[in-house]
Amino acid sequence: MGRVKERSAWPMKTPRLQRTAFRRMSFSGLALFCCVADLIFQPVIAWSQNTPQSRRDSAPAVGAAAFSFDLKSLDGKPVGLQTFHGKPLVMNFFASWCDPCREEIPLINDLASKASKDGYSVLGIAVEDGRAAVTQYVTEANLVFPIALDLNSSVKRIYRIFGPPATFFIDAQGVIRDIVLGPMTPERARDGLKKAGVFR
Amino acid sequence: MKTQFTRTVAVVTVELTLCLFLAACGADISARRGTGHSASITFGPEQRLGQNDKNPSTPFLRFAPDGRLYAVWTEDDDGPSLKPKQPAAHQHKSRIKMAPSPMRVALLASSANGGKTWSSPKRVNDRVEAIEGEEGGPRLAFGPDNKVYVVWSIPNQRGDKTRANIRFAMEDGKGGFIPARTLNEIKDTARFPIVELAPDHTVLVAWIDRRIDNPTPRDLYLMRISPNGQQLTRSYKVGEGLCECCRLGIAFADGGKTIYMVDRQVSKEQIRNHVLRKSTDGGATFGAPAEFSDDGWQVPSCPHSGPSIGQDSRGYLHMTWFTLGRSPDKAGVYYTVSKNGGQTFAPRQLIHANTAAEILHTTQAVTKDGTVYFAWDNLDEANRAQIFFRILAPDGKTWSPVQQISRARGNANRPALALSDKELHVAWTETEGEESWVVLKSAALGQ
Repeated sequence: MGRVKERSAWPMKTPRLQRTAFRRMSFSGLALFCCVADLIFQPVIAWSQNTPQSRRDSAPAVGAAAFSFDLKSLDGKPVGLQTFHGKPLVMNFFASWCDPCREEIPLINDLASKASKDGYSVLGIAVEDGRAAVTQYVTEANLVFPIALDLNSSVKRIYRIFGPPATFFIDAQGVIRDIVLGPMTPERARDGLKKAGVFR
Repeated sequence: MKTQFTRTVAVVTVELTLCLFLAACGADISARRGTGHSASITFGPEQRLGQNDKNPSTPFLRFAPDGRLYAVWTEDDDGPSLKPKQPAAHQHKSRIKMAPSPMRVALLASSANGGKTWSSPKRVNDRVEAIEGEEGGPRLAFGPDNKVYVVWSIPNQRGDKTRANIRFAMEDGKGGFIPARTLNEIKDTARFPIVELAPDHTVLVAWIDRRIDNPTPRDLYLMRISPNGQQLTRSYKVGEGLCECCRLGIAFADGGKTIYMVDRQVSKEQIRNHVLRKSTDGGATFGAPAEFSDDGWQVPSCPHSGPSIGQDSRGYLHMTWFTLGRSPDKAGVYYTVSKNGGQTFAPRQLIHANTAAEILHTTQAVTKDGTVYFAWDNLDEANRAQIFFRILAPDGKTWSPVQQISRARGNANRPALALSDKELHVAWTETEGEESWVVLKSAALGQ
């Protein structure tokens, strides 16, 4: 009862002019609050939208920020997009059982062997595959780049990989600059690297 | 005060109505299709197959002529290469942490009581091999005397699964298996085997073959084996233009004179449509492949998910498959029927739309009266793959609602179905991180 009284009494004590001014202030304050809140919360919202669960409807696109992720490498070390921040990245989704992946892997390996010299990184993400098969594949194909295991298919899903291989060329700022679905060709690789800021 | 209260009530009512309307709009369209609903099925509790610490996976189920339910699956080999050097008390934990071996064993077990209890698993492969799982996992068939025939594929010596070999083993009549042998004469060229007992009691093995590597689309090869395991024919080509990475489907009619096979074709433009092939001479030759749906799925990568086919006593051919179609909004699991032996096909019906970017794996089982049971994987709200289930009544129009039958913490994939007059069983692989296990669910029919 006391709280109701207090609330109803408060405007009564405010003169009309003051109330109007307050209303104006409150509207502009609200607008300001919204702007500030927007500035503060937008990155938080963007980050939350970047989590696997909430990315069902957004597809990775050229010009958009690459989705972040946290995986483990073959030797158990954490691997994420941030691991490669500051350098262009060639991110190749593959599987040991995938025929077109095996066809393109010498080219990806070749890109990886030149990566350090040309200032970019190569990451392989094994999808729908087990550690044992991937380990054997890495040895057999003599792969010279780091491999992450997407054991729960979470990264495959957010990047909308409807079957490997698929390769994303990401620039030093983490923006996707080219996407190659299916086997890579030397021409597409050169083009992708250029778009990602290599060879400038 | 009263007016304000009335207004508040009105606003809340409108909002609630709007919410309910939106929720109704968001519900699965496929579940509301058709004029009536076939009843859902009540499955019993989940059971596990295999040993939990050996990562069982890739089950395949089938009823034997004597009514027993059989399952074949793969597990990690427990040979010396996997045994850690730590004391026995620490073996389990350290085993998970160490780099696993790709070597697997194929195991077979049977149940005489509808999957409630199972016989001790029997090892199928005499020597440890890197048995391919998932789409290329072991398959089994039975002779009329319940003799078990199993096929699987193994990668070449370098471990390349795309240049694999087809292995075949059969029961020796003494409780074990005759040592497995390789069927493909040209080494390192064959994958995705299936095995069926033809009505003349010969064993038919089919696979996707790459002995001619250029042009890239693969060939379809068959081999016929006698009931006692003797090779009756060399492997022979019956089709070409196949997608290189997908399971095949097969059905017999006319006492084995007619054989239907389904596979995924790939065109020069990388369009992958599913086709039916028909043989009217017992599998010696097959006619031109007939597309049963022009999905127009253009994909240059490896969508490893093959179609299924089954036939009912009316002679209707039922087919199910996954396609991404011409755009992601058309992606899903589809069904069609041919009522005239593959001359024409009904327009495809969507069984379940793809909920996210994912290749789905579907299978079906058909009763004599034409009831079709479907099981497939799709993503749930939490982006985890789960197993879903649906029934189509013999009228071809009445669908049961979509039922989610798995509750996987990680992912549940690649269901297998087995059907008898009285029972239905679904098995699948669940994975979480680096661990896997096989789940079986059973239901009584005709209740």
